[in-house]
Amino acid sequence: MDEQSSIFGKFLTLMENDTALIEQLKKGDERALSGLYDKYSAAIYSVILKMIKDEGKAQDILQETFLTVWEKAEQYDSSKGRFYTWVFRIARNKTLNILRKNEPLIQSDDLSVYKNKEDAIRIDPKFLELNGAITQLELHHRQAIELVYFRGLTHREAHQEMDVPLGTFKSYVRQALKQLRASYAKAMNVLLLILYVL
Amino acid sequence: MMDKKTILEKGLLEQYILGELSLEKRHQVEQILRADSKLRDVFDALERDLERLGMDNAISPPPAVKNNLLDKIKSSRSKTAQIDSQTNRTNFKFYFGIAASLAALLLVSSFWMYSELSKLKGEVQSIETENVNLNGTVEDLKGKLTQNTELYAAITHPDTKQYILEGNALMPEGKIISYVNRSTKSVVINTERLPKLDEAHDYQMWADVEGEMINMGVIDKTQPLIAMNYIDHSESLNVTIEPAGGNDHPTVERLVTNVILR
Repeated sequence: MDEQSSIFGKFLTLMENDTALIEQLKKGDERALSGLYDKYSAAIYSVILKMIKDEGKAQDILQETFLTVWEKAEQYDSSKGRFYTWVFRIARNKTLNILRKNEPLIQSDDLSVYKNKEDAIRIDPKFLELNGAITQLELHHRQAIELVYFRGLTHREAHQEMDVPLGTFKSYVRQALKQLRASYAKAMNVLLLILYVL
Repeated sequence: MMDKKTILEKGLLEQYILGELSLEKRHQVEQILRADSKLRDVFDALERDLERLGMDNAISPPPAVKNNLLDKIKSSRSKTAQIDSQTNRTNFKFYFGIAASLAALLLVSSFWMYSELSKLKGEVQSIETENVNLNGTVEDLKGKLTQNTELYAAITHPDTKQYILEGNALMPEGKIISYVNRSTKSVVINTERLPKLDEAHDYQMWADVEGEMINMGVIDKTQPLIAMNYIDHSESLNVTIEPAGGNDHPTVERLVTNVILR
């Protein structure tokens, strides 16, 4: 039942319309920022953590990200994408900037900024674990998603990391997302079934 | 050129969502998304999937992060307000400064103008006084000129005769030159050579008419050329030393000079 209610909660989160909150945010309403933070900070924090692997820095970047959200709210255009996507990109860019600033000499062709962070881990390993539908993917699909989504690599960097051709890598990503979609659809069916039973 | 097929094959939608694309490619993708509603549907589904993926892996940050964030927003707001009010205060100070400077300038210039005015008033007054003095002097000079002109006219008149009154034993050094004109009935004397008397005495002139001494006037010690009273039928001119202001009768013992008129 716990799992079902959590699925239900996530379903609601996805369906919920942020329009009103975002409008309030653009008008400089702190409560709107607070509401949007409550909704998205955990997902964003996870992405930042997995990229920078340092809880203190991740918290700073998370704060900076939402400060930017607050200051640049005007620039968010809902016709170009979801609010989460916008915040995700801000967080990703901020984290990559920090990583690149700390490792200026690593700025080689392959831009493997993450590589040298491995030995300076200041993070509870459980934060690096993946959860949910992605865990049910085949390893190479899962890895492809992990690299571009949770590690901040570009497709070009990631295919080198996985040592497969770019085209192959892209098809991994596509396949992975297709499977994820199927998995979410299944969850949705379960949800609908629950709703029907109720 | 980018089309729907390329976008799907190259995984550009995924890269767009992840923020990997260049600005130029981003604009191209956005353009095609606006035009192609089916592609837009794919895009929307993809966005949801990736959001769901994020939600699946959410890790709650410590509450302190949110508190710091909200504090920071509040303090930046109050800072902005402070800066605003500071700006206002600065503006106020600025304008007050200008006003004060102007007032000070006005005050100083007023003082200066007042002192200038007082100075000018003083100058005008002294000029007026000087003017009065000058006018007085001019009047004096005019009077003197008239007098001198008259005396000169009397002296140079063709009918005027000159008689010299030499000093006697009482006044051996002194003498008086007199100019007598019987037709115009005038007597003018030159007293330059009369010795000075003390304050208590004056020279007085007398005309002798048939043995009687008639007063012709006290000789003014300050004037070198004086017109005296003309007395008809006078036979001689006589000068005596009398108490200051003159006497009713001549003090014969103090007769200093005389001359017979012919």
